[in-house]
Amino acid sequence: MSSRENTAAVGSGHSIAAEGLSEGDRARNPSDVVVLVGNPNVGKSALFGALTGKYATVSNYPGTTVEVMRGWATLSGHRTRVLDTPGANGLTPMSEEEQVTRDILLGEAGCTVIQVCDAKNLRRGLLLSAQLAESGVPFILALNMSDEAKARGIRIDCEKLSAALGVPVVETVAVERKGLRALSERLNEARPSRFVARYDATVETAIDEAEALLPRGRGINPRALAVMLLAGDESVRERLAEDLNQARLGGLAQLQRRLAAAYPESVRFVIARQRLAAVDRLYASVCARDQSTQQSPWLARLGAWTMHRWLGLPFLAVVLWLCYQFVGVLGAKVAVDFLEKSVFEDRLVPLFDSLVRAVLPAGGLQQFLVGPSGVPFREHGGFLIGRYGLISMGLSYGLAIVLPIVTTFFLAFSVLEDSGYLPRLAVMVNRLFKWMGLNGKAVLPMVLGLGCDTMATMTARIMETKKERLIVTLLLALAIPCSAQLAVIFAMLAGVGSIAALWFAAAVTLVLFLVGWLAAKVFPGRGSDFLLELPPIRVPQLANLLVKTLARIEWYLREALPLFVLGTLVLFALDRVGAISVLEKALAPVMVGFLGLPKESTGAFIIGFLRRDYAAAGLFAHYQPFIRAGTITRAMEIEVVVALVTVTLFIPCIANFFMMVKERGWKTAAAIMGFIVPFAFGVGGLVNFLMRRFY
Amino acid sequence: MALAIIQETCPMCGFVFDPSARGCSSGCPLASGCRITCCPQCLYSYPQEGRLAGALRRILGRSKQERR
Repeated sequence: MSSRENTAAVGSGHSIAAEGLSEGDRARNPSDVVVLVGNPNVGKSALFGALTGKYATVSNYPGTTVEVMRGWATLSGHRTRVLDTPGANGLTPMSEEEQVTRDILLGEAGCTVIQVCDAKNLRRGLLLSAQLAESGVPFILALNMSDEAKARGIRIDCEKLSAALGVPVVETVAVERKGLRALSERLNEARPSRFVARYDATVETAIDEAEALLPRGRGINPRALAVMLLAGDESVRERLAEDLNQARLGGLAQLQRRLAAAYPESVRFVIARQRLAAVDRLYASVCARDQSTQQSPWLARLGAWTMHRWLGLPFLAVVLWLCYQFVGVLGAKVAVDFLEKSVFEDRLVPLFDSLVRAVLPAGGLQQFLVGPSGVPFREHGGFLIGRYGLISMGLSYGLAIVLPIVTTFFLAFSVLEDSGYLPRLAVMVNRLFKWMGLNGKAVLPMVLGLGCDTMATMTARIMETKKERLIVTLLLALAIPCSAQLAVIFAMLAGVGSIAALWFAAAVTLVLFLVGWLAAKVFPGRGSDFLLELPPIRVPQLANLLVKTLARIEWYLREALPLFVLGTLVLFALDRVGAISVLEKALAPVMVGFLGLPKESTGAFIIGFLRRDYAAAGLFAHYQPFIRAGTITRAMEIEVVVALVTVTLFIPCIANFFMMVKERGWKTAAAIMGFIVPFAFGVGGLVNFLMRRFY
Repeated sequence: MALAIIQETCPMCGFVFDPSARGCSSGCPLASGCRITCCPQCLYSYPQEGRLAGALRRILGRSKQERR
């Protein structure tokens, strides 16, 4: 049974060589210490468990909340102390976990490293191998999960890889204890790797100059320290400040500034890109895939075009236009017309109406459920069939309006995912985000927000600083429409003129960038780099697309439909007590006077607090007869754009609000809400004002 | 009898992972039954297959085998 002991943080003033080691660790010959290093989720803990058996201690790394596991194993016939480090994608840290891993290597002079690599994701593992090689620590590479890699048609030439790296390479399956004996036997052959990732001349010159200023005899060699420093790793600078005089520190800072001035991007990014290029060459020479998993040169070229600085933009425009046509025409016109008119309005609503009237006697309950006989359902307040009826509104909105639209959108989104375009879109968006000062990791939550803002709000955790997390949460709640809402937006915009659609796109984009830019100015945080491994461009498989779309529809029905029903019940109750007409009157100065919308849209805004797409569906239902008949006027087009802009800038849904409360706390969530609601109405009013003059 | 290992490939970063226990159920306050898979590498999340989607995959898989 493993024991758990939380170690208190040690005070400052520790030496580099001693930090991170317990008294027991330090008393031993350092060569008897083996450190497991690897990317997250590569099976390090499984290997640690297989090597050390049941007895292990878990303690926080000094000064952090990051846990490090320690145990004992007999390796190559020697009793050996084994340390399991947190998963790290690199040794120039971008998280506390990565910093702990780097600090352990920095402190463990003379240790041996077992790099655990997921054979299925070899390229990512080799990126870490390149940095271990740079650091000069002796290591051995364990290609874990090699059985799964083979099953996926990935063939790795271990001998060639071993020759290229100059270190032993052993295939393992840690969970089945396969390859562990070979790993143990070959541990004595671990040595510093001969693989060198060369950078361009400017970087290499700076590295040489920095190396001359750095101390020697640390856990990792001066070249690696120089690279970390030049890449702007402040944590390593702080540690070195204890061992270097002011003149040397000043020289290093000057070198860093000079190198930074030589590139438009951050030096960290430049170094990572050039290292990746070296790793790609190594990867291509040792890894082969079965024909079924190989990428054609044409698709590879297409993948490059989609991310090109200039070619990428028209490509993006074409993708958006295709989505707009597919969702707006096929989903919103053909499918909605059929389901809403032919299925719900012409068949289901009359069917339920007649059923209730046949089963229940006239008056009382019958009238409560389906309203008075002979009155069109939109003119009475029946519970099941009526203006705010559970079937005629709740299910009709959810199943006949939003469902066909989101189905087409989910299908389009699955194509973007399976083709590999989505991550390339993230790269394109990153360029735009750089302009507003919120580059880097912020892109992922934003792109994810196009699927579900609630999940994306949780993903804002990956941002490094509290300020960045706050900005991302605000922008997600403010201006990123989720998939369901985006689908209804596409559908509504397909019914108005293209100029009106451009007004909507311009208004929301402008708000997103203006608020993001202002927020980045008000809360200045250090922008992080955006490093994303791109999957290859592929032709999507129809079967996969259908399964994924159905999975999303199931998820949507479970999550959204209950809220649609709840929203309808709220409206029904408000209507019954006469509150709707009171609210319409009370909000008339805002809804009619300021936004220029019909008073009937008040209901859509009330339920908009539950889900934005429900509000959008309400607006869709209001304008659809005019769109269908082709009688939509210029004034109505303005109303559609104003209503969509206002609803889009609302809090996405009640789940999103609670997620903000959970992630950022009540005060922040309330402050975001307090900003967004008046802001959304303010922008809507401004768009109304401008469109009535210039549209 | 060996159990089949189901692997997911993240649509965002291409990371291959075992989707079991990768749900985000602890996160979402309104989604106790929510079936969302999170990529352990980049945190991109997407719905897991439910019963219907699983059934469709089996049907499509079977018809593909029959065609062969």
